[in-house]
Formats: sequence, structure tokens, C-alpha cells
Amino acid sequence: MNIFVHELTANLKSLLIWGVIVILFVVVGTSKFSAYYENPDMLAILDAMPPALLDAFNMQAFNLTTLSGFFGLMFTYYALMLSIAAAMWGSDVISKEERDKTVEFSLTLPVPRSRVVTAKSLAALVNCIGLLLITWGISLATATPYQPDGEFYTFVALCMLALFIMQVIFLSIGIFLGCALKQYKRASSAALSVLLATYFISIVSSLNQDLEFLNYVSPFKYFDAGVLLRESRLDGTFVVLSLAIIGISMAGAYVAYTRRDLYI
Amino acid sequence: MRVIEAGQLTKYYGKARGIVDVSFHVDEGEIFGFIGPNGAGKSTTIRLFLSLIYPTSGSATIFGRDCVKHGPELRQEIGYLPSEVFYYERMKVIDLLRYSASFYRKDCTQRLHELAEWMELELNRRIEDLSYGNKKKVGIVQGLLHQPKLLFLDEPTAGLDPLMQRKFFQLIQEENQRGATVFFSSHILGEVQRMCNRVGIIKEGQIIEVADIRTLQQRNYKKVMLEAGGLDAAYFDIPGVTNLESHNGTLRFFYNGDVNALMHKIGTVTLSNVTIEEPTLEEIFMHYYE
Repeated sequence: MNIFVHELTANLKSLLIWGVIVILFVVVGTSKFSAYYENPDMLAILDAMPPALLDAFNMQAFNLTTLSGFFGLMFTYYALMLSIAAAMWGSDVISKEERDKTVEFSLTLPVPRSRVVTAKSLAALVNCIGLLLITWGISLATATPYQPDGEFYTFVALCMLALFIMQVIFLSIGIFLGCALKQYKRASSAALSVLLATYFISIVSSLNQDLEFLNYVSPFKYFDAGVLLRESRLDGTFVVLSLAIIGISMAGAYVAYTRRDLYI
Repeated sequence: MRVIEAGQLTKYYGKARGIVDVSFHVDEGEIFGFIGPNGAGKSTTIRLFLSLIYPTSGSATIFGRDCVKHGPELRQEIGYLPSEVFYYERMKVIDLLRYSASFYRKDCTQRLHELAEWMELELNRRIEDLSYGNKKKVGIVQGLLHQPKLLFLDEPTAGLDPLMQRKFFQLIQEENQRGATVFFSSHILGEVQRMCNRVGIIKEGQIIEVADIRTLQQRNYKKVMLEAGGLDAAYFDIPGVTNLESHNGTLRFFYNGDVNALMHKIGTVTLSNVTIEEPTLEEIFMHYYE
């Protein structure tokens, strides 16, 4: 409990910084939306663009002149931001003790290493949830002037659930890397490399129908906002796949961290 | 009772040697000195006992229990002062000490304040604002606040001024009288000589001697100084004499052997002054490293 509380306080500043970034992003994004909102000229422009370009930016599926359509477009960027934050928190939360050389203090206290992993992971998870709630809140707040209907709220809630799963995937991958890599310097860059690689895979797979199997490789493809909008539910296969990734990463983290030498 | 026991303890970092086949034991209530130059494996040994790192082979036990399997439970009763202390920079000293205290089953508040007062530690400053010596003081308070039964001190006096060193030694001696066993690693022999009952000497990852500090001093060498006009150094170059130096009519050497033979030899010359003393541990120590 004491480790958990200590971590929360230590991470608060980082959460606030990310919160400000997300708020700025949403506010700026929505101010752009005021130009699209129920604007037939905008539709005409979008229709004239090459479909491949729209695919690359994930704009094909949405009618940008509606609130849900615009939010669906923004979803990709939210996913990217929240995942980056999660991956960095995850890779940092354990490895920073080695980076700051505080392991000789914190791990000579009478606590098992597994408890350290649990407490720190939960603290990082709270950070992720905090950032998600900030994203959710600011999204709804900026949507209010356009009088959203109940369907929009359901859609946003569903998107938030999808974002949460993606956060936890990258959080657990980050934690695993932070636990397993003895060279703490590599943990966060490795976590970000995994994240960017899977993001580019998601772009490549949307450009080419033959590469659809790549959807299984990239968590960014597990929950497509277009599908969420049309079907109003998460794809069960990908939920199971997500849980498997999270479970394996966390199990790996515990095993690796309790067995390896600490880097001092 | 054996508080610490190492049985052929070996640690390799990949191919790099940490320690090899280290075996020794420390009994309850002892202050055990662990001496060796930098890189000999002193910190490696301590870190193995604290299960910060795991042995390649061999065993490390504390209070008769395996350090790897029972690490967290054992650490309830262990205090550790690393050679360099690092704490969460953004925390205040008092918050850090309370955080540390929260991990122990007993209430440490009173002892915490006693120690802080004794070490003249300012509790309301941030760790990042402290000098090296002051951080070390935080380390001392943090390592002792739970009144551990076993103390690991890894070059504990580095960074402390002489006054604080004295207070620190006093503190350690009190802890020892209270019943704490102390494992004292250092390369400063004077302090080991002053504090310890027994010493282990480690060199290049291997224990070369474990001995009572008195026998180590007495058993072998006498340090001899002779003063007289026109002394011939070669005259004293007899078996058992080493490090023979002659300077302005003063002869200095170490002697290892039958003292009667030496006294007989000295009796044949007319001296203006003579001293025969126990060498310091430092001087003995140099022999191991030559």
C-alpha cells in the first residue's frame, strides 16, 4: 500500500502534464470541427480526395460533418496519445529505480519484488485511468455546444472502453520491458519502438486489403472506431487477444523481475 | 548462533568475476570486518546477502535461512548502509524516513527521532538539497531506525566528517552492545582495527584469510626501529627481516620469526634509541597485497 501511494504521488506531475496535452489537443481538434459541422462544402471536398489518402488517415469510414464521425476520426489520435503515455509509464515505473540508483534503498526494504511490481503497476494503471477520464471529460465537454444525442454518448463510452484496453496493453508491454531489460535505458525506447512499429503496421494494413492479417499484430487495429460506430460493440476476438497479451506481459514481468539481478 | 554464513558463494556477472568460492561465517554479536581494495568483491558479497543479486552457485544464509528464498522476511531484521546512498530526490528527509519505517512491523517513530537528533540531521529538507555527507546521515538513520538485529555497513564512513565518524562509531558500538551483529566492509584499516573482533580479507574475489584481529596483528610481524650512529643495514639482513630501510642512521624493518634471535642481534650493537611495536593492520594488510 505504501509503495502504491508513494508511486501515485511521484507520478502525479506526469499525469498532469499528459492531461494538459490531451486537453489542448481535444480543444484544438474540436475547434477545427466547428468548420466541418453540418457543412456540405466540406463533404464535397472530402469526396474529391483519393480514397487511399483517406484510408491512411482513417477518414474513410466517417462522415466528418457529424459529431460522431468527427470523434471517430479523432479516436486514432487519442489512441496514439494514450498508448504512448501508457507505454512510457509502464516502462518507467519499475526501471526508474535502477536509473535513479534507488534500488539499493527500495529493494532492500522487507518487500518481495513481486509486491513491488504489483504496487507500481497498479499505480501506473491509476495514472492511465486518470488520463482516460480526462480525455473522456474533455471530449464530452467540447461536444456539448453541438447538442449531442444519446447515441453519441454511447459511442464515446464504447470508444473509451476500447482506449482503456489499448492503454492496458501498452502499459503491460511497457512494464514487461521495464522488468525484463537489465539495461534500464533501453526499456522506454524499446516500449516506444514497439508502439510505433505496431502503429505503422496498422497504417500499412489499412492501405492494403491483402495485409489484413496484420490487424492481429497491431493493437491499433483491434478496435476500429468505424466498426465501433456501426456495430456498437467491441470485437470479441480482439478483446480475448488483448487480454492474452496483457496476461502474458504481466506474467513475464513478474517472472523476469523476481529472477534477475538488479542493475546497480 | 551463526548469523551470517557463506558457503562457497560464487557470483559471475556474465563472464566477469564477482566473487569466487567465498566461505565464512559471522557469529551473533560479532563485529566482523571485511577488508579489501576496491573491486575485490566486498559490495558484491553484501548485495548477495541482501538478494539484490543472486548467486551463480553456493549458498548465502542469514539467521540460518536462505537469502534468496526468505529475502523479504529476513530483511525485516537487517539494516543496510550502502557505500553511496541514493534516495528519492524530491522527498523530504522526514517523509523518506517515515516511508522507510512504514515497511517494518514495529513502530520506529521514537527511534527515528532519536537517531536524527544524534546525527544532527535536518528533517525538513529535501533530499536533493542535501550534501553528500548529509545524505549519508540520512542513510545511517534509515538503516538503523528499525533496530535491526544485523547490520551491513558498506564503507560507511565515506563522506562523513571526523566528528560525525566518531558519533557514527559510537552508535554502531551501542547497537552492537544491544545485541546487533555487524558486518563492516571497508578499505580503511584503521577503523576496522578499532571496531572489529574478526576480519575477513578479500582479494580479487577470493577470501585469503579470516582471522581474529589480535592474532592477525600479533602472530607474524614486529615493527622495529633502531637508531644509532654508523649502523650497517646489511648487519640486520637476517632471515625473517623484510622491508629493511636505512635513513640517516635510523633502521626500520619488519621482523617475522623467533624474537630471541632478533634481541640477541640487537644486543650486540650500541643504540641511542629503539622501538619494537605491533604493526598496524594497514602494514600487515600491505603484505597480502604485494
